[in-house]
Amino acid sequence: MTAPAMTAPAIQVEGLTYAYGSQVAVRGVSFEVQPGEILGFLGPNGAGKSTTIKVLTGQLTPKAGVARILGRDVTLDDSEIQAQIGVCFEEKNLYLSMSGKENLDFYASLFGIKDFDAMAVLRRVGLAERANDRVSSYSKGMRQRMMISRSFINRPKVLFLDEPTDGLDPVSSAAIRKTIREEADRGAAVLLTTHDMFEADELSDRVAFINEGEIVALDTSENLKLKYGKRSIKVRLRDGDRVREEVLELGDPEAGARMAVAVASPDLLTIHTEEATLEAIFIQLTGRGLA
Amino acid sequence: MSSTRAFGLTRTSKGFSLTRTLKVFKKDMAMGPRSPFFLYALVLPVAMTVILQLVFGTLFEPKPRLGLVDFGDSAVSAGARAIEGIELTFLDDVETLKRQVEANDLDVGLVLSADFDEAVRSGGKPPLELYIGGESLASTRIVLDVTALDLIRAVEGSVPPVVVELVHLGDAPSLPISARLVPLIMMYALLIAGIFVPASGLIEEKEKGTLTAMLVTPVRASEVVAAKALLGFVLAFVMSVVTLVLNNALGSRPLSLIVVVSVAAAFSALLGVVLGAAARSVTALFTIMKSSGIILIGPVIFYLFPEWPQWIAKLFPTYWMIDPIWQVALQGAGLGDVWVKVAIAVAIGVVLAAIAGVLAGRMAEQVAGE
Repeated sequence: MTAPAMTAPAIQVEGLTYAYGSQVAVRGVSFEVQPGEILGFLGPNGAGKSTTIKVLTGQLTPKAGVARILGRDVTLDDSEIQAQIGVCFEEKNLYLSMSGKENLDFYASLFGIKDFDAMAVLRRVGLAERANDRVSSYSKGMRQRMMISRSFINRPKVLFLDEPTDGLDPVSSAAIRKTIREEADRGAAVLLTTHDMFEADELSDRVAFINEGEIVALDTSENLKLKYGKRSIKVRLRDGDRVREEVLELGDPEAGARMAVAVASPDLLTIHTEEATLEAIFIQLTGRGLA
Repeated sequence: MSSTRAFGLTRTSKGFSLTRTLKVFKKDMAMGPRSPFFLYALVLPVAMTVILQLVFGTLFEPKPRLGLVDFGDSAVSAGARAIEGIELTFLDDVETLKRQVEANDLDVGLVLSADFDEAVRSGGKPPLELYIGGESLASTRIVLDVTALDLIRAVEGSVPPVVVELVHLGDAPSLPISARLVPLIMMYALLIAGIFVPASGLIEEKEKGTLTAMLVTPVRASEVVAAKALLGFVLAFVMSVVTLVLNNALGSRPLSLIVVVSVAAAFSALLGVVLGAAARSVTALFTIMKSSGIILIGPVIFYLFPEWPQWIAKLFPTYWMIDPIWQVALQGAGLGDVWVKVAIAVAIGVVLAAIAGVLAGRMAEQVAGE
């Protein structure tokens, strides 16, 4: 994955701050998301991810800082921004007593979409066959797919996805990730919050680590791994009844020769690079895990 | 353009869309029959009317029961048949009549001999057997005694020696309890359809997060609140009219009735959205309704007890929406007679609408902050 060419940012945030009473939830956050880019917001629960989305989608008014969506100040609240965004909430806030099709038709009407084809949207997320069933009869995974499909109905230029695969099985998660990638490929800027480092790694063009309301690192996951990971190789060899491990530092002048010996050895079991995971980097930077 | 200040920055909003309001209203109407509160609003006034009219309409106000044994073909019998206000029973023999009066199945029993009419007309004074039940009400006995004498006087061909002029004392003519119950049923119809349905609908949108989902579309919080108010208005208006029809209380001035019912429906719907915007949960709404129930229902109690000082009812805000209905639907008043009360109700409604507007602005931030 490569970051899209720089154009006017779809999301532009400078020194954004929000507080619930005296509790500061977001503290001077700054970042940009380009059209077609997926920015992964990685952080544990309570780090300020959802609050940032709430401010950017006009639900909360920032205490300080500037936030612009497609060049428009979010505090203007003039419906122009809302017409161009799609939001997938962490909470499954669907009308349970309405069918999947009725849900989508209603929200499409709020956007003023003419000739809306709900079935096409539902087909895209594999729910066409259950289109006329009440959402209350849907499984958790189906409801999540409904949430995702609802966020796409206006073909938004900016997508806010708050924990879109939280608690889903691997198959459903993979299907949803594929759909998100398609939206980015279409040109939508995507702000994805997650505490799943695998998801962030797989989907995001860039990753922002957020902890206690502050962004502690922001870069491509590749760069983060290079910057914070170890430059070493771990070799495991059979040694009689035991397994012996050797760590070869890549900067060591003897590493090449030792590697050659290890590769030629009949006792060689495995060779691993010591590349850091995003979670390991997060722990390294913040002293806490992502859970 | 209006603005609300929250924390350090100012959020500016503009543009109220009636189209978007109607879209939310349409959704609410479509979802209505799937909501127990909505169905309750439809059923309650009908059920209350049936139950209260069944109980109070017959038990409290039975018609005087007159039993007749006519051995000839008396004009008294024909005259009695023409009277609507009494319950008339013809019997074949005197013994059965006496037995039924004694058992309190009849209030009064009257026996007319075969030559009764002829004897009266010839100036004779034929004996009249009149049996009175010991358990019958004094007022009932008087009604039947006077009725019987009037009928006999008619046979004689004479007119009553006096003209009776009815003079009502007190604020209003005394109406039967079945009529005085109408404001109570009306108030419940307005309470459930006009207040509870929009209030609970708004709270449900907040609790289930669907309000948040709407507010990230072009829809504004004020439009959602307006849609709920419209739902409450339509439902309250329809159920008020249904209640009046069921209680045979449509008055004689339909245009005036439509105006006063519309004002009451709007008043209750606006009160509903104020409560819905202010309350954080359905539990909180129930608590508010329980604690403030007497304030809402208070005025209608005074219609049930006309001997109470009626000015106290005017201290309740809901008096100003319910009394014009009472006056027009049951007292024969026109809009010209009640316009001051209607104007006060409209003024209260305007204040409620302003409060609802302010609460709508805060509601979005409140929901997002939870």
